[in-house]
This record gives sequence, C-alpha cells and structure tokens, in this order.
Amino acid sequence: MTTTPVTTATPTALAGTAGYCPVAPDSLAGVTRRQTNPSRWAGDGWAAFVAELASRDVEVLTGAAVRGLFATDAGGTAYGLPHGVVIARSASQVSALLQTAQWYRVPITVRGGGLTTEGESVAFGGVLLDMTGMSRVLHVDAQALTVRTEAGIFWHSLAEELRRHGLDYCSAPLNLTSSVGGTVNVGGIDVNSPRLGCSADQVIAMQVVTPTGDIVECSDAKNAELFERVILGYGQFGVVTEATLQVRRYTPLRMRYFYYTSLRSAITDLKLLDANDASDYSGILTMMDRAVNLLVAFDSPEREATFIADWQPRLRGHGEVAFAIRAAAYYAIRPWKVGEALYIYRRKRELFPQFERPEFLRGDDLHDRTVVFSRAVWKFWGSRQMVIPDLATSADRFIEAVERGNAVCRKYFAHYTLYCVGIKLRDDHRAHYEMSCIPPGAMDRAYGCEFEPMTSGRAYSRDYLQSFKNEIYDIGVDIGASYYRFGGMMKGYIRRVFGDAVVDRHLAMKRAADPGMILNRDVIF
Amino acid sequence: MFGMATNALPGNDFAACTGCSLCLLVCPVWRATHDIRLTPHGRAKALQHGATAVDLIESIASCTFCGACEPACPEGIDLIGMIVGLRQQLPASSARNLSVAQTPLHSSSRSQSPAHGAPSVVLADQSLRDHPDILACVVSLLGVQNNDDNGADISCALETGTLVSPSRIEAFVEPLQRKGRIVVADGLLLRHLRAWLPRTRIESIGAALSRLPALRRQLRSSDLYVIEPRGYHADYERQVRHYDALRVETGCETNLDLQRIAIPAIARNLSQRLDASVPRDLESARWILHRRRMSRIVVESVDDIRVFEQITDCPVVHVAHLVDPPATTERGAW
Repeated sequence: MTTTPVTTATPTALAGTAGYCPVAPDSLAGVTRRQTNPSRWAGDGWAAFVAELASRDVEVLTGAAVRGLFATDAGGTAYGLPHGVVIARSASQVSALLQTAQWYRVPITVRGGGLTTEGESVAFGGVLLDMTGMSRVLHVDAQALTVRTEAGIFWHSLAEELRRHGLDYCSAPLNLTSSVGGTVNVGGIDVNSPRLGCSADQVIAMQVVTPTGDIVECSDAKNAELFERVILGYGQFGVVTEATLQVRRYTPLRMRYFYYTSLRSAITDLKLLDANDASDYSGILTMMDRAVNLLVAFDSPEREATFIADWQPRLRGHGEVAFAIRAAAYYAIRPWKVGEALYIYRRKRELFPQFERPEFLRGDDLHDRTVVFSRAVWKFWGSRQMVIPDLATSADRFIEAVERGNAVCRKYFAHYTLYCVGIKLRDDHRAHYEMSCIPPGAMDRAYGCEFEPMTSGRAYSRDYLQSFKNEIYDIGVDIGASYYRFGGMMKGYIRRVFGDAVVDRHLAMKRAADPGMILNRDVIF
Repeated sequence: MFGMATNALPGNDFAACTGCSLCLLVCPVWRATHDIRLTPHGRAKALQHGATAVDLIESIASCTFCGACEPACPEGIDLIGMIVGLRQQLPASSARNLSVAQTPLHSSSRSQSPAHGAPSVVLADQSLRDHPDILACVVSLLGVQNNDDNGADISCALETGTLVSPSRIEAFVEPLQRKGRIVVADGLLLRHLRAWLPRTRIESIGAALSRLPALRRQLRSSDLYVIEPRGYHADYERQVRHYDALRVETGCETNLDLQRIAIPAIARNLSQRLDASVPRDLESARWILHRRRMSRIVVESVDDIRVFEQITDCPVVHVAHLVDPPATTERGAW
C-alpha cells in the first residue's frame, strides 16, 4: 500500500455498548421500529481505492448498467446503488478486495442469489461483490458422500453436477437460485429439514476470507471458532468462498397431500409426524387459513407403506374430494366470502397442475422435486415486491405463533400464504445457533413459519408493508421467538429479540474481526 | 399482415423481470462465463435501471439465441423478442460486431417459387443443404419437398437485428400458408413462423423425425439423443412432452437438464459462428457427455456431428440416418 487511508480511526473501537451502536433501539430515532434504507456511503477515497485494486488485478465495474443490475434484491422494497461491482473469481481476489477495503474503509456488500427480502444483499454505496462468479464444483466424492464447491454456485447448478454422480444435496431452500454461500450464512430450510436439519448444518468445512482478507480453512475441528461464527453468521465474519457439503444418494419421491380447514389441526399433525419420524419430507402450505395443505413425501415405497399403515389413520386431514365438499358447505352459508372461495378455487386450479407435469412424473414417483417446487414458487409466489416476515419458535410455541401471525395477515391482506416447516437441530452445533434464526429455547427441533402476502397486481407502500412486518415481529418479541430475516430493514428488532448481552458479545467479536466494519454492514452490524 | 414491422413476438417485456435468475440456470453463456451481465436477467435489470441498447452491446452480442431462457422464465417474458428488439435498436456503427446483414450467411434462392401444391415442405438451412445425403433422407422419410426459399436471409436478419422489408416477409410467408405442414431446420425461423402462421403445422426436423415409429424403434436405451435446442425451446410446451414420451418409450438419455431444458452441444453467438478463426468452445458438448455412458450419440443438428466427433470416440449419427429411407413407409405420422 502506498496511499494514505482516508479514515484511520475505527469508527467504534470499543466493544460492547460503549460508543455508537448500529443496532441500538434509538438508532432509528423518530422512526419507531421502522428501518428505512440506510444512508448511502459517501464515497470518500473511491478513486484511490479503485486504483489500488487495479494495481492488484482486481477489476471494479463502475458502469451504470452493471450497478443498476444490483439495485435491489428479491424483496424489491430496498433500493441502493453500489459505487462499483466486483465479480468474484477467486479467494485471492476476494482477499485483495477486503484488504484494500479495510484500508480505505469502503463497505463491501456480498451477494449470492440476491434472494434476500430486507435489502441485506443491496449495497448502499461501496462495492457489491457478486459471488456467482465463483460457481464451479471442485470435487465430488461419491464414496464419502461429500462435495467441495465454490460458494457462489446456485443450489440447482450444484444439483445438476451431483445428479451425474447419482447424488443430491441434503437440504436446500425451495428455490433454485439460492447460492450455497448465502444459504449457509442464514440457514436454508427445506421440506426435509424436519429430518435433515437446515442447509447450514450440512457444511463440513469451508474456505472463508475474513473481513481483513485472510484466507482460512475452517471446520468443527480446524479454526472452529471462525467456523462457528460464519455458519449462520449473516455474512458478518467472512466471505465464504468454498464449502464442503454432506450430500446423499438421489431418490425420486412420492408425495401425499392432506387438506385441512384448521391451521391448528394441521400443525398438530405436522408435529406428530415429525416427532415420530413418520415421513421423509413434511411441511404446510396454505391458501389463506381455510385451505391448509399438509404435504408429506417419502424417499422409498417402504417408508410410504409404513406411513400409510401407521400414521395416515391418525391424521385429521382430508383427501381432495372430502375437503372440497367441506369447503363448499362452509362457503355456501357464508355468501359474503364468495371472493375468498373463488380465490382458493382459482389458485388450486392454476397451481396443482404444476406439481403434476408429466415430464417430472414416473408412475407414482416425482423426479427433480426442487425444480417442480422452485418453478411453482416463482410462478405463483414471486412478484416485483415481496415481503416474507417469519417466526421461528420452539415446538411448543409454534401453534400460537402461527395463529397470531395469521390474524395479522388477515388484517393486512386479502390473500396470503403461510409456509410452515420443522428444522431438526444438532446438539453439537448449539454454538452455531446463537443469534441466528434458531430460537434459543428450541430443543431437538425448531419450527418456522413464513407469512407471505400475495402482492401481485396490487401496489402497497413500503410503510404499509413495514407495518405488517413489524406486527408479525412484535409477536416474536412477545413469545420469545427468533426470525430468519432479522437483518437489513428488520435489524431494529435484533436487541429486542436476542437481548443486550448476546448482541454485545457478537458486536465485540465483529469489531475485532472487522476493524473497519466494512463487511455487510447493512445486514446486522 | 405478419407483424413483421418489428419482427417481435407478443409477450411481456423486460419490465416484468423480478430478478429471479432462473434464466441463468439454463443460459449457456452464463455457464461459460458466470457473468450475470451477459444473461437475460442482466439485460432486463440493466434496462429497468435506464441502460440503453448501446450500453449493453457486449451482452446483446453474446446471446446465442438458443431460446432456453424463455421456457424457464416464470414471468413469460418474450426474451428472444427482447434481444431481437435490442439488436434492432443498435445503430449500424455499434452493430459492427454483429454485422452479417450483408453477409451471404445462408443462400436463399428466392428467384424460384416455392413448391406449390406440395402439402408439406422442409425449410433446410445451409448446414443441412451442405449435407445432401442427410437432406435427402429427411425429405424421403418425412415425405416433404425441399422448399427453395428457406428464409435464411430473414432468420439472419432477425438474429442481427436488421429490419426485413415487409414485402420480403410477405413473399416468404404467403406461399407457406397453403402448406399443410412445414418442417423447419432453423429454430429461430420456426419460432417466428409459428407466430406468423398460427394455423399451420410447423415443427423442427428433429421433432418430426423422432415422431416416426420406424425411427423410434431404432433408438436404444444406450443412446444419447441430442435435441436441437432452438427448435425445441421455440415449441417447448409441446416438445417437452414429445421428448419425454420418446425417452420413456426408448429408454435413451437426452441432453435435457434437470429443468428439461436442452443443453446445446455448442454455444456460439453469431460473431463466433461467422469467424472461422475463433476456435470452437467444446465445453458445452463436454458437459453433455460428462459422466454419461452411451454406445451411440444421435444428433438432430448436422452441426453437432462434428462437435461430438471432436471429443469422443463414440459413434455419432444423425437422426435421419437411423433408418434407410427407401424402407420407410410410415411417413408423416401427423
């Protein structure tokens, strides 16, 4: 380095609550619990920073077209422009970027699939680091059932490679374009998570570039402290550049649906199945709260047969025809709800064929369920504006959380969907779970519910959407839940949910690891 | 009459893009570069934020027109129409690296009238014409006549963003209205013909041939069947079922990915195709073969024969050569 850094003093050098705290309750003074877009980094020393990077063979793209490409995330409610974009190509390049950024105090926002909804992967100035440039699968060990991959890869691209080996990933978000690196930073929930846990728990080892530019290999056995912090760390403690993941043999699956008119009954049955390992996949997907679908699926005919014999008779759900008759009777005597009935009918008619496309079916087996699910997710739930507040609780508080959240949804929106799933926890990863989406009180299995309004065709103000999210999150504060999406625009809840002691400890660790507080600063700290 | 003022097909435009990135997963350019700027997502998002066609010239030029992105797009955006429209917006000077408008890329014998009276015709592109033995098989197996006017100049103009005179399109399309069936080698032309002639049966050569029972009987479970991507994606909803049935019936593997999108054997944009000095990038073909075991590769595109022969010792055969034409009596299984 030959140039003088623009800012030499660490903005907040002291650990704990001394000095400025970016997540203090009063950090949003005048905007009670409503985080709007953060102020944009002013760009001090940008030209010298870019020149320094150029001398280290790191190209920064500064054209308006490429910056505009990253102006928002999947949520579409937070907008910001980076000063420049770097497409990640190697760990050494990322290292050079972070070292230089520390020196010049330039914020770095890391983006994988960009599927955040609270602006976590939106750069409000500084550099947007596009990790999808690192998308190669490096090694597949079919015997050990592991894969080493660059972390910018989309889960679907990983699945394409694994399939050629007869393998599949263990669990990943129901979305083909989530990236591996982004997912392990936040969790990754699948409909097999009640058995296999979240994606972050499938990570065996990682290569991480720390905020100061060190390239470190870490695992439970090696540099375990860094491993512990980066897993479910919301990008605060490093950039994941490679990951070794546990994988499994590929199997098609057999799906069964049960329909409920009551959330409580469906959740009770979901928990019953999970607690007894009665299915390989399970989850709840609703069309409003009068049409609740409990999905169960199996990796083998044997598992399905056992379920049919032992567990299906105990479920309170109905088949499609019986449910349709019940629903018709319900709405027949409530003509003022005809709009809701028509919505449910229309939605079912459009959605269900997508799960039965013949090219994905072989007899009773559904192949490539992630493709089927993900296409449906984007086709029927995706839109230019998405908010998906969530609540993650212990098993015993889950029904209360969902019912109270459902009431909030009804208050705000004509149409919405709830998605509920269990998450198997690993005792040996307890330390990973601190200050994450896994609620502190959950033992053995946590439960999560996403509350997603259907916003297509309607325009809502950001304030309206934010108020909706706040009401959901207030429930979490009240019942001691956690959240999947507590960063970005929702970070005003962090101290309220996790408490000062935990937050201060993590903030101190962050300040020690990232002296310039440059890495993903608009996510958490 | 045929909507040739813009040459674009109806559909949602870039403003509908939500940034889901599903198009990236199937885009051969993204697979080769991992540069989001060179993808439909990259173009749509840049356009949403004020970029012009000139700002995106590298991205626009990179597109191979394979059409894989369209069936993958959950918003139903007319992505091929978008790229055609963007190329048309480029000033002539900026479009130099696309400039083939005056290049006799394909010969198009427009002086002769089409095969009047023939119920079915094949529009053979130049690659197929360069292989008269294969073309003869196609004509014989399908019971079609080779149309003199193959529309190659129109396809070339569509790909380069050059506006075609309405009279030329009229002259090309009008006689085709009287055909009961049109079999097309060029997938880009097929896409537009389906819009211009919605009541006419139009399909790709590969789809038409692979419908023949005699031919299907020759396919083995140890075959790798390589579908021509442009024609497949241009008629995706029908063809995905057709080829799925083919796979179930014969047991052969195909070049479809997990999304049932066709992986091209060779992904080259127009400039790369025209410049003989540019070496062929064979990575896409290698990816198709990656960890597959097959006794034979059956291809629909004549261009793919040489591609696979370069990277494998496995026999490569064109689908039309699976059966001997004279022995075939099951023509036109429509």
